[in-house]
Parts: sequence; structure tokens; C-alpha cells
Amino acid sequence: MHEMSMMAYLLETVEETARAMGASRVTAINLVVGARTGAIDDSLLFYFDMMTPDTVAAGAKLNIRRTYMTFHCEGCDEEYTPEVGGFDCPRCGKVGRLTYDASELQLESIEIEE
Amino acid sequence: MSIQIIQVTQNLLANNDEVARLNRLQFLDACVLAVNLMASPGAGKTSLIIKTMEAVRGRAAIGVIEGDIAGSIDTEKVLAAGALGAVQINTGGSCHLEAHMIRQALDKLDLKRTDIVFIENVGNLVCPTHWALGEGIKLTLLSAAEGHDKAIKYPQIFIAADVIVLNKIDLIELVDFDRAYFYESVRAINPHAPIFEVSCRTGVGLDEWADWLLGQTRDDRRQSTYDSSQAHRRMVN
Repeated sequence: MHEMSMMAYLLETVEETARAMGASRVTAINLVVGARTGAIDDSLLFYFDMMTPDTVAAGAKLNIRRTYMTFHCEGCDEEYTPEVGGFDCPRCGKVGRLTYDASELQLESIEIEE
Repeated sequence: MSIQIIQVTQNLLANNDEVARLNRLQFLDACVLAVNLMASPGAGKTSLIIKTMEAVRGRAAIGVIEGDIAGSIDTEKVLAAGALGAVQINTGGSCHLEAHMIRQALDKLDLKRTDIVFIENVGNLVCPTHWALGEGIKLTLLSAAEGHDKAIKYPQIFIAADVIVLNKIDLIELVDFDRAYFYESVRAINPHAPIFEVSCRTGVGLDEWADWLLGQTRDDRRQSTYDSSQAHRRMVN
């Protein structure tokens, strides 16, 4: 649901950066999206297609790199990414502690034509 | 024609976070503790605000910013219950509040005479998490009736919480709420946030919650960051 707002903020930053660099066209946008932002790729792509036609990013490719939560299991002394539906360690079944929450929503880079 | 890669490395919501920082400064300047109240629809957000107002009556003046997709029922309720001021924000379909909406609402509150501002976010356990509003405290409210597995299904809102209130605790037996499961899953992702068990219906737990909140009005000068990627990230050792 909130992907539309996210996309509006993204395009604002892309347009500012492209203008500052004197780009005639943006060919690709590289985005990092944490699994726990609740943002869905299909939905981001849907709004991207809808919102870009009259912008400098028209026709650009939106690349989305996903990150995932990690936990640390004290008993096994291992890092793990839990399966959907729980936080438990896949080896021993105990619930570990969150070490990385995968909340990023970051514009990493853009590719432009001058 | 050459293709160039420009490194940006910027939080997508940086513009929102900048406005949130201005809101935060305005709250601090007026010595107001702003509480971003996030919960699903029906968890008891408005009830908690009203019951908290009753519990702190004579000790703190409360202002309320109500975020709703449409309507002003909640604003009327909190004004009738004695709020010093209340501002309605209709998001017109948006699933969360953003910092610029709060910015506009601030002019309509008498901040100098207010001690605590509750910002009642749009009912939703996903979207509000990502938008900093300028609050001093993020409050995640859950009701027992929603089930004990919510931290597993919606971890981000529990990770982001500075404090967690578990409402409708009087229903705990009726709805088979597994307390141990709830605490284990919350503590795995947020080891430190205080958790208050309350019932807005029976009144149980509300005094402890209100006393803690009043204590926070005195501690609110602590530093706070408005890069939301950092604000929402708790690296746990």
C-alpha cells in the first residue's frame, strides 16, 4: 500500500540527482529494499511504470536488491535468516536474537546518459 | 553518448526525515513529548489516548493529532474527553502519516501549553513504521484479541517501538493469547522496550503506564536521529 509514497520519494531524489549531474536520461535505478519494509517488488514496479513516463527516468530499468533479517543463535553460535512464520533457528529450533533487521529503503545508484 | 553510474546511497525517505527533524525541534523547543501511536484498526488507539488523559489529569495537558483516512469521529471523542487541542488529518486514502502532514498540524496546536502530543497514526501495522514524524517516542499498541503472533508477522513495528502497550488484557483467557509466545517473539527483536499490559475497559495497568509516560516527558531531551534507516535499526548484541 505504501509503495506509491515510497516511489514518489524515490523519483524526487532521482530527478534531483539527474538534474545536478546534467543527465539527459536515466537508464537504470538501483534500489536496496529490506524484506521487512513491507514493500513488494511487483507493487514498486507497478507504481514505477505508472509514475515515470513524463520524467527523466522514463524507460529506465528499476533494479531491486533485497536484504533479509538475520538472527544469532546462542546455542549454535550461528547467524541465520528465519523461515517465514517464526524467528526460530533452523538447526536447534530455539529463538535467537535479532542482529540485522533488513529495514533499508535505499537508493544506491543511478545510471545516466549525459 | 556515455553511460555513467552515479553513486547516491541515500535513504529513500530522506526528505521526509528532514521535515521530521524540524518537527522534532519544534516539539523540543516547546518542551512537548510527541508520541507516535501505531496500531492496527480496532486495537484501541483512541481509547488509550482518552484513558491516558484521564490518568494524567491535572498533571499534564494533552494535545492530539488524529490521522485517519477519512472522517473526524476520533477528534470529537478526544476533545469531549478533555484534550487541550485536537487536529484531524485526513490522509485521503494514504495508509500512514508523513512528516509534512504533522508540520501543517503543528500550527493548529497550542504547543506552549501542551505537555504531551499523541499522534494517532492510521490503523495499520506495516506502513506507519517507516515514516518518522518528529516524535520523541514510538508507541506500538497491540490488543490481545489480535493474537500473540503479531511480532512474528509484523516485526518491523515491534523493532521500531520505544514502548509497547498490550491492550484488552482482560480478554487474554477468552482469546487464548499465549503470553510466553508473545514475550519471546518480541524480546527476540526488541529486548529493551518496556511492555505495559493494560485494559482500557477495566482500567487495569493504566496508572503504571501513565506514570511511565509522565516520566518520559522529563527525559525527552535525549538525542534522537532522523535517518529512518538508523532510527528503525536496533543492532542487538
